[in-house]
Amino acid sequence: MSAAPYLHIHQLEKRFGDFVALQNISLQVEEGEFVCFLGPSGCGKTTLLRIIAGLEQVQQGRISQAGKDITRLPPQQRDFGIVFQSYALFPNLTVSENIAYGLVNNKLSRQDRTVRVNDLLEQIDLPGIGDKFPGQLSGGQQQRVALARALAIQPGLLLLDEPLSALDARVRLHLRKEICELQRSLGITTIMVTHDQDEALTMADRIVVMDHGTIAQVGTPEEIYRHPATAFVARFIGSMNLLPGRVLEGHNLLIGDTELALPLMLSQNVEEGLLGFRPEMVRVLQGPEEVKADTLLLQGEVAQVNFMGAFVRLVVTIARNTDIEVDLPVQQYSQRQLKAGDHLQLAIDTESLHFYPQPPVDEPTRVSIRQSDPQPQHVFAEVMDSVMEAQA
Amino acid sequence: MSAIAACRLMPVWNTEAFVQRALLLLGVLFLILGLLAPLSTMLLKSVQDHAGNFIGLANYAEYFTNPALFGSIINSLVIACWTTVIVVTCAFITAYALTRSGMAGKKGFRLISSLPLFAPSLLPALSMIYLFGNQGILKGWLPVDSIYGPVGIVMGLCFWIFPHALMILITAMSNSDARLYEAAKALKTPGWRVFLTITLPGVRYGLVNTIFVCFTLAITDFGVAKVIGGQYNVLATDIYKQVVGQQNFQMGAVVSVILLLPAILSFWIERRVQKRQTAQVSARAVAIQPESQPLQDNLLMLFCGGIAAFLLLVIGMAMYASLISFWPYNLTLSLDNYQFDMMDGGGWDSYFNSLRMAFWVAITGTAVIFLLAYLNEKVKALPLLRKTMQFLAMLPMAVPGMVLGLSYIFFFNSPDNPLNFMYGTLAILVLNTLVHFYTVCHLTASTSLKQIDGEFESVSASLKVPFYTTFRRVTLPLCLPAVLDISVYLFVNAMTTVSAVVFLYSADTTLASVAVINMDEAGDTAPAAAMAVLLMFTALGVKSFHWLISRELLARSQRWRHA
Ligand SMILES: Nc1ncnc2c1ncn2[C@@H]1O[C@H](COP(=O)(O)OP(=O)(O)OP(=O)(O)O)[C@@H](O)[C@H]1O
Ligand SMILES: [Mg+2]
Repeated sequence: MSAAPYLHIHQLEKRFGDFVALQNISLQVEEGEFVCFLGPSGCGKTTLLRIIAGLEQVQQGRISQAGKDITRLPPQQRDFGIVFQSYALFPNLTVSENIAYGLVNNKLSRQDRTVRVNDLLEQIDLPGIGDKFPGQLSGGQQQRVALARALAIQPGLLLLDEPLSALDARVRLHLRKEICELQRSLGITTIMVTHDQDEALTMADRIVVMDHGTIAQVGTPEEIYRHPATAFVARFIGSMNLLPGRVLEGHNLLIGDTELALPLMLSQNVEEGLLGFRPEMVRVLQGPEEVKADTLLLQGEVAQVNFMGAFVRLVVTIARNTDIEVDLPVQQYSQRQLKAGDHLQLAIDTESLHFYPQPPVDEPTRVSIRQSDPQPQHVFAEVMDSVMEAQA
Repeated sequence: MSAIAACRLMPVWNTEAFVQRALLLLGVLFLILGLLAPLSTMLLKSVQDHAGNFIGLANYAEYFTNPALFGSIINSLVIACWTTVIVVTCAFITAYALTRSGMAGKKGFRLISSLPLFAPSLLPALSMIYLFGNQGILKGWLPVDSIYGPVGIVMGLCFWIFPHALMILITAMSNSDARLYEAAKALKTPGWRVFLTITLPGVRYGLVNTIFVCFTLAITDFGVAKVIGGQYNVLATDIYKQVVGQQNFQMGAVVSVILLLPAILSFWIERRVQKRQTAQVSARAVAIQPESQPLQDNLLMLFCGGIAAFLLLVIGMAMYASLISFWPYNLTLSLDNYQFDMMDGGGWDSYFNSLRMAFWVAITGTAVIFLLAYLNEKVKALPLLRKTMQFLAMLPMAVPGMVLGLSYIFFFNSPDNPLNFMYGTLAILVLNTLVHFYTVCHLTASTSLKQIDGEFESVSASLKVPFYTTFRRVTLPLCLPAVLDISVYLFVNAMTTVSAVVFLYSADTTLASVAVINMDEAGDTAPAAAMAVLLMFTALGVKSFHWLISRELLARSQRWRHA
């Protein structure tokens, strides 16, 4: 029992009327850890965060923090600081008054309070703005003030609800780093909600991927990226080719009209499933080449070549009505000068292959939330952001 | 593990949540005692005989077999319809001129058109007597025989209701989207089609709303009909006659229930319309910049000038008449009519009573209404109780003053009621007036509270700051403009109201507006006019004073807004 987790969430269930917002949520967070809740809009991230804060009541389950059961405690009696998406800074109080808001009942002398506020302003890199009103600050500055206000009472747990989503791309990148540094230097246990996978991947020690009110996977960013536990996680984080196939026998999978011999054993009691691999894990073979035995080999014809900046995305037809995406580093692309219609030999290592058995009833609902090509979308969003900025 | 289990079984005591819930409960209790219980008592009285025995609908049967009584229903409807048609038409054109034309002098006109808000509804009626009465200066202009009757009532009501209608229509018209008009222009749409296809549909909710507000105000008004109605009976005066004249409380209750019906109906329709209105104007709408079109502008200006002249004529006549020594024989100016202590009706005491009552209504009303609106808006628990509260807060709008006043007699005058001690005191007048004008204040408070970030309470909970500290330090300062508006609205209305309090004053607590009625009834028309004018100027003075103070106060407390 010595290494009990700092925050222990056990079998939570939350309903709004008939609607089940959270179900079967169990999670453990270690002291000093930075955890991100990641998931599409409406999956229940904010709800879970608010439950941890005591701002929502659960129907079932238990939460304990630092060894103490806090399930039924009101927020006033819990130990946390929170930053909302809207920051919720008090507009009629100055920055200093905002930061000192929670210090008033700490029995600190006025002088100590001023010292503490100035310390915090120092920490968030905004010395000398204490006398301004929130309305006079930029979004990024407001965000940092909200952070300072939450940290002022030295909480044991910091909760952040999409703290960066209202900011433009450049400020967001900068603040990501700052929040991480601050979190690490204070060693404060932190939970951040986000729907931005880049944010989660770069900031978190561990990511909790959520899907329709349940936890789909918990793991380090690398684990989540390299070994997505479900097709949903695979789709949601990065790009993944997911090819529906029918299991034949032994190693064989029928994809479209093509039979593939997989270098992995398929369980014989599933009939259908999705074969997944990431576009950047596909190698384009240069002529006749020796490959290891446990490699999946594919033949295909280039259908499209999309220049994406750092890499080139090829769309390759490997069977009738079955296209896959293949990412090539720009350098390799310029050597080969590929164009539509070229025939290619492709190879994928076993460890990059995933097979997600599909119970025919359950899965289709999940397939519908496919988030196609998160990467290009992201590039686009950034371009848009900078355009807007330039216009403003 | 067992410690944890034990801990879970015990409910955690949370003082703040308890305080909030207790206050919410008290609030609902307050509204039940101040509104629902009196109304129910009145409903009950309408099915009882003098001795208090249940007699079913016998009272109603008696009412409908007496043509002298139920004829008033028709009269009331006729008055309300005429007033609504005239006021809405005039207010529509005026609002159009003020928001969509390049007419000059808009500011001044808006100022003049708001003046009737500060006058008791008795003032236009008294003024009509001097203008068109038997010895009126413009009697020859009157197309009918006598001003005492429907024509006088409608004219008086038009004066008094016009600013209410104008306010709603101005709001509706300034909320339209300029982009629609630009699109129409690009498509070369003729002006009349633009009006029919864009302007009219754009304000249809506001228009419907205005129609119902006018109708309700007209059908429930007591003051105008009392002073100038003559033999023409309407529902509101019938209640008064039954109760004060014939001491027939049961019949008063029956008429009250009948008066309640159209008011509740129009209230209900208005709420439905309001609900649909919300999503109508998108946040991206572009405000209209009126262009000048000389011909149209001049015509509109002529029209508005006519209206302004009418409003000023009515006010001016009352003022002038109040300064005349002895109308129409001795036209020298004097202040004799202001020596209220020389007349029956309450004298100067009644004026100071009115001031005192208005002061207390403004203070307690603002505090109670804002606090309850706050709890209703911010407390998450007890949804059923909050729903009840919301309903009770909206209800006073639908209850005519006469009905509320009579209900208070039934409820508070009952010897079984422990609150009986309030009867005949200033307190009951304060409570009654507060409840009477509850809804508009509640809506003002709710609107301003809704604009505040909903997470402030969560933030302060996380910072371990109790909710009442955040209420004091953040919520209240942010809502200060609304709070100030509520207080002056309550003060002005408490000064000028007559309908509800006419049943509730005692010898020690006569009010100025009641004194106007009593003096007029006693034939002292000029002093009555003098008191009405005095009331109007007091209300105006308080409003101006309030404006100055708020400006100062807001400049200091709302520094952040302009920073
Ligand atoms: N008070 C409430 N009453 C009813 N349903 C609610 C309430 N709060 C949230 N929900 C529902 O619960 C689900 C989860 O909401 P939540 O706000 O936690 O989503 P989220 O993951 O934070 O999404 P987003 O990324 O859009 O913020 C949503 O479907 C939402 O409609
Ligand atoms: Mg959210």
